[in-house]
Amino acid sequence: MNKKYVIFFILIFSTQLTYAASGGQLKPVQIDLGNKASLQRGAQIFFNNCAGCHTLKYHRYSKFVGDLGISEDMIKSNLILTTSKGEKTKLGSTIVNAINHDSIKEGFGVVPPDLTLTARSRGPEWIYTFLTSFYEDKTRPMGVNNVLYPNVNMPHVLWYKEGLKEMDENNILTVKVEGQLTQKEYEQEITDLVNFLTYVSEPAQLERYSIGLWVMLFLVFFAFITYLLKIEYWRDIK
Amino acid sequence: MSKFMAWVDERLPVSNFVKNHLSEYYAPKNFNFFYFFGSLALFVFIMQIITGIFLTINYKPDAASAFASVEYIMRDVEWGWLIRYMHSTGASFFFIIIYLHMLRALMYGSYKKPRELLWLFGMFIFVLLMAEAFMGYLLPWGQMSYWGAQVIISLFGAIPFVGESLALWIRGDYVISDATLNRFFAFHVIALPLLLFAVIYLHIAALHTVGSNNPDGVEIKQNKDKDGKPVDGIPFHPYYTVKDIFGLAVFLTIFMFVVFFLPEFGGFFLEKDNFVPADPLKTPEHIVPVWYFTPFYAILRAIPDKLGGVLAMGLAIFVLFLMPWLDRCKVKSIRYRSLTYKILLTSFVISFIGLGYIGMMAPTPILTILGRLFTLVYFGFFVMLYLTSKNEKTKPVPERVTMYE
Repeated sequence: MNKKYVIFFILIFSTQLTYAASGGQLKPVQIDLGNKASLQRGAQIFFNNCAGCHTLKYHRYSKFVGDLGISEDMIKSNLILTTSKGEKTKLGSTIVNAINHDSIKEGFGVVPPDLTLTARSRGPEWIYTFLTSFYEDKTRPMGVNNVLYPNVNMPHVLWYKEGLKEMDENNILTVKVEGQLTQKEYEQEITDLVNFLTYVSEPAQLERYSIGLWVMLFLVFFAFITYLLKIEYWRDIK
Repeated sequence: MSKFMAWVDERLPVSNFVKNHLSEYYAPKNFNFFYFFGSLALFVFIMQIITGIFLTINYKPDAASAFASVEYIMRDVEWGWLIRYMHSTGASFFFIIIYLHMLRALMYGSYKKPRELLWLFGMFIFVLLMAEAFMGYLLPWGQMSYWGAQVIISLFGAIPFVGESLALWIRGDYVISDATLNRFFAFHVIALPLLLFAVIYLHIAALHTVGSNNPDGVEIKQNKDKDGKPVDGIPFHPYYTVKDIFGLAVFLTIFMFVVFFLPEFGGFFLEKDNFVPADPLKTPEHIVPVWYFTPFYAILRAIPDKLGGVLAMGLAIFVLFLMPWLDRCKVKSIRYRSLTYKILLTSFVISFIGLGYIGMMAPTPILTILGRLFTLVYFGFFVMLYLTSKNEKTKPVPERVTMYE
């Protein structure tokens, strides 16, 4: 076996990987999908603050039972806030809301995007940075602007938690009005929320690593056995 | 059992087939690392068909529901995510395998007499595979699916006179639309796989007619024992079946590692923008084809003129078809060829990888210059090969194959 080629091949790809991984001025966020409590808190924050405008239209409420360990009753009473044809939305439904596209476009200029896959298309760091980068800007219709996404149309919904920051002449954000939470507590809540959205973007992540480990163990063992088989058969080939 | 086989053999020569193509099909005994990729390519082809069938069960080729149906597969279909990742990762690995398979042919002169047809069938497979991958990439109906297809199909518009009508004919609409998605689905799941199946059959039939080349480029059929068996040949079964199973096991270990732990492969196998549904009104900042097309895309961009670029890109693929006639050296293997050929092939490989890198980056002045340089090296390889190969100073080729362990 010629190891040189294999190493060469790995090298080409690993350099590209590191290139792709180096982002802009995004803040790092600690994603831990094994932390069920964090995922549940994230769900709570999402449905209390975001779900009014944003949908998770490719995901179903019922998934939270097995994936996040939230009971059916809890979902029905606390997470499902919409009705469909006069009845409460069913557990098996996808997560949509009641906004009227025309009127919300009049109010905000855009239809609030669906957030199912945002953690995959923009990345968890992007969402985390976005939600911690609002500052007061009286020239904007909502009174706030965003460092990461200048002139974004979204109001700072979580301002009551974070408080309101202002930007000084050196582009540094400082808290102007205190919110319910300290900066640290707010950052923790946003981490939980991003953690939740990361799970929603790819629920398979909850199982794919642990299954993958067993598959790897089997395949390495299988490769070893087939190697011995090959050696045995090829003993007589000179 | 033997009675049963006799009954079958009288009606269909199964035993004969097994003998001719496996147990008494002689292959050179000195195959190295590069000789795993043929059987691996066949394996990945079959895997793509099987995972593809399962995907079509839940996929909807409809602009209004295609994107959602892929997410449905990823979330609500049992093991759907695994099947989808195997299919998407399989596409990229197919190209890794095919590129290494082709490099092997360039290294050991496997396209030379009497294997010209074998090479041509292989090249047809390569072209069909590119079409298959291109059309398959539209199906998830993400932003990159949409805009990538828009860019590539608009290239046909550069052809004088008929270009615009041709692009319109391919799309079935003035822009990429539901009509395009529907026909690409038809091509991706039935027309092209059938064609691929047929040409792969011909490729293997041609291979089994002339026999495999090997790293020494020695024709094993010219050196037979008194029973008429090649002295440097060994029966494909069991020797290469067990060896290829080992190769397959190693391949699967790497492949499944990517499927389970890096399915997006840092945005190279599944691009980030493709997790946003196709939006005809919003062009992404940076449209890039998937990595396996980027070398040819870089050649396209290297030429300042649109038609010129399209022609250069087409030529970059077409010129490979001519390898059996461009390379006039009688010696097959790089082991016994001149330093000139070694330098030429090395610079060709570097230029190909370099172009692949440049093709996925946003253009900058330096990258454009580099892209042109590598394009020159890419085509220079074929020109220089034609000029130098006729009177190449080669080393003596041994009578028998050499074994390294």
